[in-house]
Amino acid sequence: MRSLQLQALQLSLTPSLFKPKLLSHLPYSTLRLPSPPVASLPRNAISISQSQQTGVVQNGAPEEEYLASLPEGLLRELMPNHVAVIMDGNRRWARMRGLPIWSGYEAGVRALRRLVELCCKWEIRVLTVFAFSSNNWFRPKVETDFLMGLFERGLRDELENFTKAGIRISVIGDSTKLPKPLQVLITEALEVTKNNSRLHLIVAVNYSGQKDIVQACQSISLKVKDGVVKPEDIDEFLIEDELETNCTDFPCPDLLIRTSGELRISNFFLWQLAYTELYFEHTHWPDFGEDEFLEALHSFQQRQRRYGGQNS
Amino acid sequence: MGLGDEVQKAFCSMFPSGNCGVHLFWRIMHLILSIWYFFLWLVDMFESFLISSGLLKRYKTLDISKVQYLAIVIDSEEALQTLKVLNLLVWLAAIGLKNVCLYDNEGVLKRSEQAITEILKSEKRFKEITTSNPPLDEKGMSLEFISFSDGKEAVARAANFLFKKHYSSENKEKPNFTESDMAGALREIGYERPDPDLMLVYGPARCHLGFPAWRIRFTEIMHMGTLKSMKFGFLVKAIRSFTMVHQNYGT
Repeated sequence: MRSLQLQALQLSLTPSLFKPKLLSHLPYSTLRLPSPPVASLPRNAISISQSQQTGVVQNGAPEEEYLASLPEGLLRELMPNHVAVIMDGNRRWARMRGLPIWSGYEAGVRALRRLVELCCKWEIRVLTVFAFSSNNWFRPKVETDFLMGLFERGLRDELENFTKAGIRISVIGDSTKLPKPLQVLITEALEVTKNNSRLHLIVAVNYSGQKDIVQACQSISLKVKDGVVKPEDIDEFLIEDELETNCTDFPCPDLLIRTSGELRISNFFLWQLAYTELYFEHTHWPDFGEDEFLEALHSFQQRQRRYGGQNS
Repeated sequence: MGLGDEVQKAFCSMFPSGNCGVHLFWRIMHLILSIWYFFLWLVDMFESFLISSGLLKRYKTLDISKVQYLAIVIDSEEALQTLKVLNLLVWLAAIGLKNVCLYDNEGVLKRSEQAITEILKSEKRFKEITTSNPPLDEKGMSLEFISFSDGKEAVARAANFLFKKHYSSENKEKPNFTESDMAGALREIGYERPDPDLMLVYGPARCHLGFPAWRIRFTEIMHMGTLKSMKFGFLVKAIRSFTMVHQNYGT
């Protein structure tokens, strides 16, 4: 009883600790404090398996234990349904440490694994990661070949774990330009995980926000030609239904995180981000961990989002 | 015993009276954090004062050549503060920015366009001011006023245009649309404007509120807080930060 009272008291007071009204006008970058310590997990909550390196998350914790495993200060009703991440800074991370850039990318994969675990643990419904932009083909071939190999290895190594963990995988972007073995593996991964529902992991590979809009318009034109849709019915809602994010019930991210301090979208989800909370994190992607994610979620939960409407 | 249990045990031993002690502890923590935030606010206000008065050397000369086109996104509720918007435009002109796009989701700024431009024209430095699809080589400041209808709705109209151009005719060949086709369609229906280099967002939420999606591929986005709290110093600082940025466009 005492632990429940303490918890309720903490939850009621904690949000007001972070930003008094006097200072709510300040840009976020001036208000960063170290995030609060994460509550310890009850013994029988969602647990990480023995092989922490591979990052396998095990299924099956009931609702009460999920509620107890949400870190202090986070409110369940304010958790984002869909989080999108631009995983920037792998190369800079490696250069800062005097390592080859391949090390940066591999460290980035480990960071992604950590994030997937956290999203499963905290019941975020959809996680989209911007793995490879259509602009990235302009990088040296040896680098793009390495990245394609890394995607293939990562997907092959984790497919079984994702299946066990109830993670559904979708891949958006123009996959026709990817190496054939990777295309085959993607098709297999989509098929094997299509009925999973714990977390929907969407990986954007060779993705372009502008191209997504164009292909949506193309799809609509074909539907109009076939008589499925009338020309006068073409509107922004129809376009949204044809975007590649129509694979999920939550196509528009609630929160976008971009690491490495860059303050732009870089041709990712141009349409879908209209009312998305934009969180620009200075840490490079390989260093983005639980603390950083918590800080992003805390910041998200404090914001007043109106989705273009007026305050009620 | 988990960490939470240990902490709770420590609280109970420190505060035998139970919840009153915990409540007091949280209030003290709240006070400490409030004082910390107040201190941060003072530091920011002081920095803004130093920038505004030209005392900080690095802000004295601002290279604004990188800011060819600036977008200002304002929350529609805040856009009703026309005087604040005017003040912001005066500051932007003082900095030397020539091409500014004003956006709010509901078109409040669009409806205020005439009032804003008339007041600005009465100011000496705004003698040459153009609006509504102005050419960019004009000497004075050019202002573009847009809203949600110039974003997603415009793309929907462009989609309709593309369908009519390529698919509604008897011509059997149905080409795949490209980004150039879409850009061309937007141009044909009157929505071709430059992509902003920098976007400053004023409002409570850190999002771009539906600014035309087609135009913000590589736009730098900075959240400036509420319009009510805008400071000249913060504006200069944001623009200077942008001029220091290196973009590699994904390569």
